[in-house]
Amino acid sequence: MKTSLILGQRALRESLRTPDSLLPTLLIPLFFLVVNVGQAARIFPSAGTEFLKGQNYAAFQLPSSLLVAASFGSAALYLVEEVEGGYFDKLRATPIPRMAIAFGRLYAELVKMLVLGAVMVLIALPFGVRIEGGILGFVVLITVIALWSVVFSGIMQVVALKSRSAAATQSASLVFFPLLFVTPNFVPRHLLTRPMEIAATVNPVTYVMEGARSLILDGFDGPALLRALAVIVAAGALMTWLTVRTINSYD
Amino acid sequence: MTAAILAEQLMKTYRGRSGDVEAVRGVDLEVAKGEVFGFLGPNGAGKSTTVRMLTTLMTITSGTARVAGFDVASQPHETRRRIGVALQEAGLDARQTGRELLVLQARLFGMSRTDATDRAQALLEWVDLTEAADRSVKGYSGGMKRRLDLASALVNEPEVLFLDEPTTGLDPASRLTVWDEVRRINNLGTTVFLTTQYLEEADQLCDRIAIIDGGAIVRRGTPSELKSELRQRLQLDHEPTLDDVFLDATGRSRQRVAGDVQEIHA
Ligand SMILES: Nc1ncnc2c1ncn2[C@@H]1O[C@H](COP(=O)(O)OP(=O)(O)OP(=O)(O)O)[C@@H](O)[C@H]1O
Ligand SMILES: [Mg+2]
Repeated sequence: MKTSLILGQRALRESLRTPDSLLPTLLIPLFFLVVNVGQAARIFPSAGTEFLKGQNYAAFQLPSSLLVAASFGSAALYLVEEVEGGYFDKLRATPIPRMAIAFGRLYAELVKMLVLGAVMVLIALPFGVRIEGGILGFVVLITVIALWSVVFSGIMQVVALKSRSAAATQSASLVFFPLLFVTPNFVPRHLLTRPMEIAATVNPVTYVMEGARSLILDGFDGPALLRALAVIVAAGALMTWLTVRTINSYD
Repeated sequence: MTAAILAEQLMKTYRGRSGDVEAVRGVDLEVAKGEVFGFLGPNGAGKSTTVRMLTTLMTITSGTARVAGFDVASQPHETRRRIGVALQEAGLDARQTGRELLVLQARLFGMSRTDATDRAQALLEWVDLTEAADRSVKGYSGGMKRRLDLASALVNEPEVLFLDEPTTGLDPASRLTVWDEVRRINNLGTTVFLTTQYLEEADQLCDRIAIIDGGAIVRRGTPSELKSELRQRLQLDHEPTLDDVFLDATGRSRQRVAGDVQEIHA
């Protein structure tokens, strides 16, 4: 635990030293937000679009953008760089629990995403987005997003450890990226076409998105939040199990 | 007194899609405390594989190894506490400064922040990197990286230090610096296990050596024992060099080596 924190602080220090990898994590999701809202806002005016609950379309889109930011898996890219460069072996030769190497990076991911998520929400506020859940809703919102980014990065780290190749890790994040769009991304689930609705219903990301969105549009919607949390806990448990298994049997 | 390193019938088979590679096939080693032991062999002989098994970084296919009194397979933590490792690819984190890297390394060995800071400073002085200490490792030269790697292998004052080709790719002056450091470390009582491609290095530094070829040890002894054995066996009228011993042991004559070189040029 203590070792994870020590390694996590180092990972954070490194992120801050590579703003060229931090900046896209902020700018690309904002780009998606601007483009998506720019294209669809006239179809969904806030007056007359029931699912917007009186807010503008940016409020509906914000969770998607936050999830894009949470799905870069940069922890895994740093990790695989370390595996390829040999520093990973140096860490493995120290008397620490090996999983601390992976969890340290996830701790850094959590902190980074809390800050990044907060910044993104704050940027959205002047554009008329309101967080119905208030201050507490805001805190829960960025926590949900940050936890999801930990789960996602953790799974990417498993790919990194199994493949030991930066190219493979990068392609893996491209494989998972579409999951973000097989969701009620533009309209609520009941307005999707039937096949899309089915696909979105089995996609766990949907529930994280809906939970996050409910905090913005509805305030505290217990069932929606619980579903989001259940997905995060279940995927998080799977990720933790895979991580421990993979890193302990790394040879 | 227990040996610093004791390996019996060490074997490693890499299992890959394109078939299995028997990289190490039954290596026995006994290195006494306080020794500098040289592990020599041509490319692909199994030197790094042996080092990785002895340093708990890789599973052992069969056989046993005890390092600093602990079984590397069943007591990896106890082993890691007592060893220092500088691998062939000086794997350093280019985004940290030299000082940060050493402080981190020391903290991972359980030192407090203050102790780790002091230890890092002492090691930076020891390997003469104080001026570059607060620069990013990315800008270090090959020699500086090697010295930093060496320093990082010493944070825990290891009983046994493993150096995998510590001087490969260094200029002659840097090589001498590393030799000097190895001697100083050894004088403090640390056992050193080093692999090298340079026969002169082994001759200069090592109390005893073993030559590995194709995963098996083909010669072992002190440098002078090996030289006089070759001299007697071939009835040479001059004292052979360790190069001659090496070429004889690995079945490569000078002619064949020269031929290989020509083929590469053709
Ligand atoms: N990860 C691996 N997977 C499969 N084969 C491997 C792996 N690592 C090494 N080998 C093979 O095992 C054999 C021994 O390799 P090793 O790296 O131990 O040799 P070495 O003596 O250190 O060589 P060098 O002087 O080039 O560093 C070689 O045939 C090599 O190709
Ligand atoms: Mg090697």
